Amino acid sequence: MKILNVLVRIETLKTVKRRAFWVAVGVFAAINTSVAVDNVRTARRFPDFSHALPESWPRVLSGLTSPAGFFIAVLIILLVAPEFSWRTGRQNVIDGLSKERLYAGKVMLLAGLVALFVATVLLIGIGGILFSPSEGGPEIIRSTDFSYLAGLTLNLLFFGSAGLMLATLIRSAGPAMGVLFLYFLVEGAIVGLIERAGETATRITEYFPVNISDDLGDDLALYPEVLASVNADRAERGLAPLEFLDVEVLVAAVLAYSTIFLLISFLSMRRRDL
Amino acid sequence: MPIIETRELTKRYGTRPEKSVLAVDRVSFAVEEGQVFGFLGPNGSGKTTTIGMLVGIINPTGGSFRLFGASDAKGLLAARSRVGATLETPNFYPYMRGRDNLRVAAAIKGVGRSRIEECLELVGLADRARHRFSTYSLGMKQRLALAATMLSDPELIILDEPANGLDPQGMREIREIIRILAGRGKTIFLSSHLLWEVERTCTHVAIVRRGRIVAQGTVDEVVSEGTSALLRAEDEDALAAALEDCPEVTSVRRTDDGIIVGLRGGDLAGVNGYLVGKGIHLSYLAPHRQSLEEVFIDLTRGDFESMTEIAS
Ligand SMILES: Nc1ncnc2c1ncn2[C@@H]1O[C@H](COP(=O)(O)OP(=O)(O)OP(=O)(O)O)[C@@H](O)[C@H]1O
Ligand SMILES: [Mg+2]
Repeated sequence: MKILNVLVRIETLKTVKRRAFWVAVGVFAAINTSVAVDNVRTARRFPDFSHALPESWPRVLSGLTSPAGFFIAVLIILLVAPEFSWRTGRQNVIDGLSKERLYAGKVMLLAGLVALFVATVLLIGIGGILFSPSEGGPEIIRSTDFSYLAGLTLNLLFFGSAGLMLATLIRSAGPAMGVLFLYFLVEGAIVGLIERAGETATRITEYFPVNISDDLGDDLALYPEVLASVNADRAERGLAPLEFLDVEVLVAAVLAYSTIFLLISFLSMRRRDL
Repeated sequence: MPIIETRELTKRYGTRPEKSVLAVDRVSFAVEEGQVFGFLGPNGSGKTTTIGMLVGIINPTGGSFRLFGASDAKGLLAARSRVGATLETPNFYPYMRGRDNLRVAAAIKGVGRSRIEECLELVGLADRARHRFSTYSLGMKQRLALAATMLSDPELIILDEPANGLDPQGMREIREIIRILAGRGKTIFLSSHLLWEVERTCTHVAIVRRGRIVAQGTVDEVVSEGTSALLRAEDEDALAAALEDCPEVTSVRRTDDGIIVGLRGGDLAGVNGYLVGKGIHLSYLAPHRQSLEEVFIDLTRGDFESMTEIAS
């Protein structure tokens, strides 16, 4: 227990003193605020546009979709990789932390950042709704909203663990971010190529890390009624219906990827010299 | 029980044989309580690597070591709370103030705030502690590192080239601090390539060369191991040439004072007889007590020669 306390204290101290951290959180909060303000404005101007709970949960939670994951990954890289280039992680170990504990501190940092991002989005999103004139439903939150929130949180963990893995493997912030960007491009390109190859090949690309986490962050995958209305619309226009893997499969796959990333970074941390 | 004990400790960097570097090669030594132990070696001889293994940031590839008698992971972690160490350069968060950097170290070591101030005071950094680490001069960085190692009032202090980059005044202060700590009964393990630093501050010394220990013992023992003599003659070139072939002589070094030779068995008369046989008459012959520096240079000669080759 005492060691958890120590880890929380040192990781907090390292983080809050870092300007890059406040810049990233500030930018993220600003983006969310501007979206929230926009939603409220639209609701005031157009009475048809309902901005109230629970219907607006997907809109509120959309603050946690893809750019948020990217933010987390970049932020984790910025906070973890310099521990190697400054050799401060090395000094932490010399001072009496084991490599395993140093690593545990970073996983806690990851969890903390995710919690912070989720809290920021909820606070700003719900705060915005308080200013909206729309009438809400009887319940504030539905079970599908919970699932969506859980899915998005899992997604952030996924991106964070990818960032942690790159930071511990590459040990330098710039190149680690480069690889992160590059991976996005490469996966996109490969998916594009394979999709041309046909139906069965496309099935495989659904399981690619970024693709599958995108799906888990897609409200269409979690709100059947939304998917139904979108597909009805597509049918009218003569388009094939959209299909998603079962949510259970998405969750299992994203969890598996995150676990693998964390495991790789843990083993690298343990086996390599600091 | 020795405070530090290594047995055939070995580190090879890299796995591919053609590219790997044998940085530490079956090194065995023991540091007893209260010793000021100097680990002396030229650049690249494996000092930092050896210390890195002791403090747990470098995984040994062979051999073993004990700290305060402990050798398993759990015991070592506990033993390390009795150690204060810095490795190579002072490693701190550049964006944080000196004091906040010590707060991180203090949290890990489980030390309170008042101790941070004491240590800052001790190294003379109290009035700069609110400035960011990145604004410190090298000497100030070294002092902060020294303050960090002393936070938990450790029984064993390990310093890797503590005088690196310091001016003469700074070096004297470091020596003074080491003397005070030794006076309080602390065990100190100190690596250096500065001989006079080791000679002045250490009670014991191990000389390393290319990852191997080539001499160890008390400073006096190591110095007297190399018996040598100072020789002068009218024609020093001829003398030097003759000495190179003399079977009694292990090393020949020309100085302003004359020629200093390392002797096998300390047989001065034998050398004299040999030289007379070559037609060289000495104007001066006397036993010579080598300084640690001379022992060091004799023992690590190959490295310096290759360095000058590269330079020329
Ligand atoms: N991470 C590493 N990877 C590969 N080789 C390394 C690594 N660290 C050190 N070495 C090599 O190991 C040898 C010993 O290095 P080490 O840093 O231990 O020497 P040192 O005695 O501390 O030298 P100095 O006096 O210059 O600090 C050198 O040949 C060095 O090139
Ligand atoms: Mg070194």
